[in-house]
Formats: sequence, C-alpha cells, structure tokens
Amino acid sequence: MPSIVAAFVTANFTIPQRIGVNPQSMLLLLPLVASIAIVYKATKLPKITAGHFLKEVVILFGSIVVFMAVTALVLCVLAWVITE
Amino acid sequence: MAPRSKEGHIFMLLIVGLAGWLVPGAGHLLLKKNRHAIIIFVTIAATFGIGLYVGSIGVINPVGAKPWYVAQIMNSPAVAALGQMTKTEEYAVYGRPNEIGQIYTSIAGLLNLLCIVNAVYLAHLRGSEPVGD
Repeated sequence: MPSIVAAFVTANFTIPQRIGVNPQSMLLLLPLVASIAIVYKATKLPKITAGHFLKEVVILFGSIVVFMAVTALVLCVLAWVITE
Repeated sequence: MAPRSKEGHIFMLLIVGLAGWLVPGAGHLLLKKNRHAIIIFVTIAATFGIGLYVGSIGVINPVGAKPWYVAQIMNSPAVAALGQMTKTEEYAVYGRPNEIGQIYTSIAGLLNLLCIVNAVYLAHLRGSEPVGD
C-alpha cells in the first residue's frame, strides 16, 4: 500500500499539468503572492500572534494585487493609446 | 552566560545560515523562533511543491535553465539531487507549465534566501547575548 501511494505521488510530480494560455491562468499568481506576503511578514514581525500576523499578511497581499492590477491597467491604456 | 568569542560568533552565523539552507526555517528554529520557523517551512515547502506539481520535476534543469537553477537550489541542497535526475532530459517539460513551475520553484528559493539572510542577521544581532529568548 505505501508503495502504491508513493508511486501515485511520484507520478503527480513527473507529469506536467495542462495549463492553457488564457486569462484564467493569471489566477495562478495569487498563491505566489500569498507565499511572498506570508514569508516576508514572517521575517519582518518580531513576535507572531495569529490575528496581527493575518492582518499584516492580508494588507500586504492586497497591496501587491492592487498594485499589479493598476500597473496592468496603465500598460493596457498605454498600449491602446500607442496602437490607436 | 559568557559572551561568545569572535570565532564562536562567526561559527554560529555559519551554522544558522547552513541550517536555514538545509531545511527552510531551520535557521529560525535554532534561534528559538519556533512560530517563524514553522510558517517559513510550510510556506516555502508548499510553494516549491506547487511548482513541482504544475511543471513536474523537469522544471529543475541544471543544463538548459542555469539561472533558474541557481535560484531553485536556494531551497535546499536536495534540489541538486533532483537536478541530477532531470539532467538526462527524460523529464523535459515545455510551455506554460514549465514557466509557471520555474517561477514558483525559483521564487520559493529566493524566499528561502531572504529567510537565511534574516536568520543570520538575527543571530548576528544577538551577538554576545546567550542564544535563546
């Protein structure tokens, strides 16, 4: 039984997943932004309490996502102005 | 407790840095920052795991993607073992899964580098103080 589980786990990590080139694939950036926010705040906060840590992480996560969205919007507008 | 000698201090910094590289979060664990260590370990391991799941172990490519590999190996020396496995091109991966997998695994490595630097800095600040809170 353990060897079957091991084989199943190994198989999952030796075959790439199917990811289309579509707008939905951009959602894959969210877990990465969450990781960055969590680790960054873990290195910055001297003491970690659940409530305070969560609040700090959510604020940083939101800031990054909003900044990226605004940057994307500005680039879209710029591209539209240049090509029109 | 008596302050550590200069050699002892440098040795401590090396141990903390090396531990953080061997296992993400272990540097903070040595400094008795258990919560920080657990959060760092779980987050970096999950990010690295997602990268491998999306792109397969083929995203670790020490031959064709050296700059990415340099960032990936910051996760742990165990990545070098995976690199030996994928050297043969048996697990070659292309396209979007390759990009996403490389980005996830490399960012995980760079985050671990940040944690290593942070742990070494904290150990340095404690300098002459006894280890522990």
